[in-house]
Amino acid sequence: MDAINKLLVTIGRSVGGVVGTLYQAGRDAVETTIRNVIPFMAFISFIIGLILATGIGDKIANAISGSASSLGGLLLVSVVCAIPVLSPLLGPGAVIAQIVGTLLGVEIGKGTIPAQYALPALFAINPQVGCDFIPVGLALGEAEPETVEVGVPAVLFSRLVTGPLAVVIAYFASFGLYNN
Amino acid sequence: MDTLAVWAQDFIGVFNQGGAVLLSLMGGILPTLVVLLTAVNALIRLIGPEKIESLGVKAAQPGIQWYPVRYMVLPFLAVFFFTNPMAYTVGRFLPERQKPAFYDAAVSFVHPILGIFPHANPGELFVWAGISSGIAALGFDLGPLAIRYLLVGLVVIFIRGIVTEFITKVMMARKGNA
Repeated sequence: MDAINKLLVTIGRSVGGVVGTLYQAGRDAVETTIRNVIPFMAFISFIIGLILATGIGDKIANAISGSASSLGGLLLVSVVCAIPVLSPLLGPGAVIAQIVGTLLGVEIGKGTIPAQYALPALFAINPQVGCDFIPVGLALGEAEPETVEVGVPAVLFSRLVTGPLAVVIAYFASFGLYNN
Repeated sequence: MDTLAVWAQDFIGVFNQGGAVLLSLMGGILPTLVVLLTAVNALIRLIGPEKIESLGVKAAQPGIQWYPVRYMVLPFLAVFFFTNPMAYTVGRFLPERQKPAFYDAAVSFVHPILGIFPHANPGELFVWAGISSGIAALGFDLGPLAIRYLLVGLVVIFIRGIVTEFITKVMMARKGNA
């Protein structure tokens, strides 16, 4: 009897553990969605609505599509975003990258920018990723203050090289993507 | 009066258009995202993120064969399991001279991972979703773009890790002499 009891308790515990984990996972997922994802969707929807309904889009399209539908233009965008003084300013929350990404997405959807430029564009709009967050990120990794002092400029300067390089790699990696 | 009416029509038209976009986002990617987030969250809890920490200790070793581990495998697993921003805590297993490079590699991966594993950084989903929605609007599959974004991202963080580690080394040496 004791053995059966023990078995039942073990089964009950492990099932409860798994169900509890799944339930908690669902709760976390919904919370993230409500707190982080949906507000941004609302914001992005407003911007897209504004672009589509007012025709501002055509002007933006003329300005952006020129630079976003050639390798040279995308490289220029990535160099500007990677300038050490600008990159920490463009970084926070990836808001700039998300807005520019959305604008480009609208233009790609309309056919102003060729679809195969999507991949290099993803890297061109984002060489500044995390540049606003270097001291905090290093502190999370328990870095010494001396390391932070060297690390901040090291990452910023590195981006000047690796930002445009990423665009070139992405450009060559996008061959054969969405050609037809 | 007519002008006013047209103006009012245009005004509400902006928000009708925006509302239609919001509805398509909520009906399109949101349900998938919630289910995916739940599944991956559960998986992470069941596996236990502390398993990655032993890899962090290994990745700190010198030698050329540990570069890909340190700046590709470790950032990938860190971002996948710990997500943004807790992924950067994995850097604590590395020596000081490698910490900036690891941060650079890890932070550069929080967007390329979004196409396939959006749980890692859902608050910044639109870096990916903004551009990919244009591809979706054209009627193409997103899979090829998502996988290439991820793979190119891995190559890029590897290069970033090496370049930043090198710059850090040069700057630390210069500081030591001064």
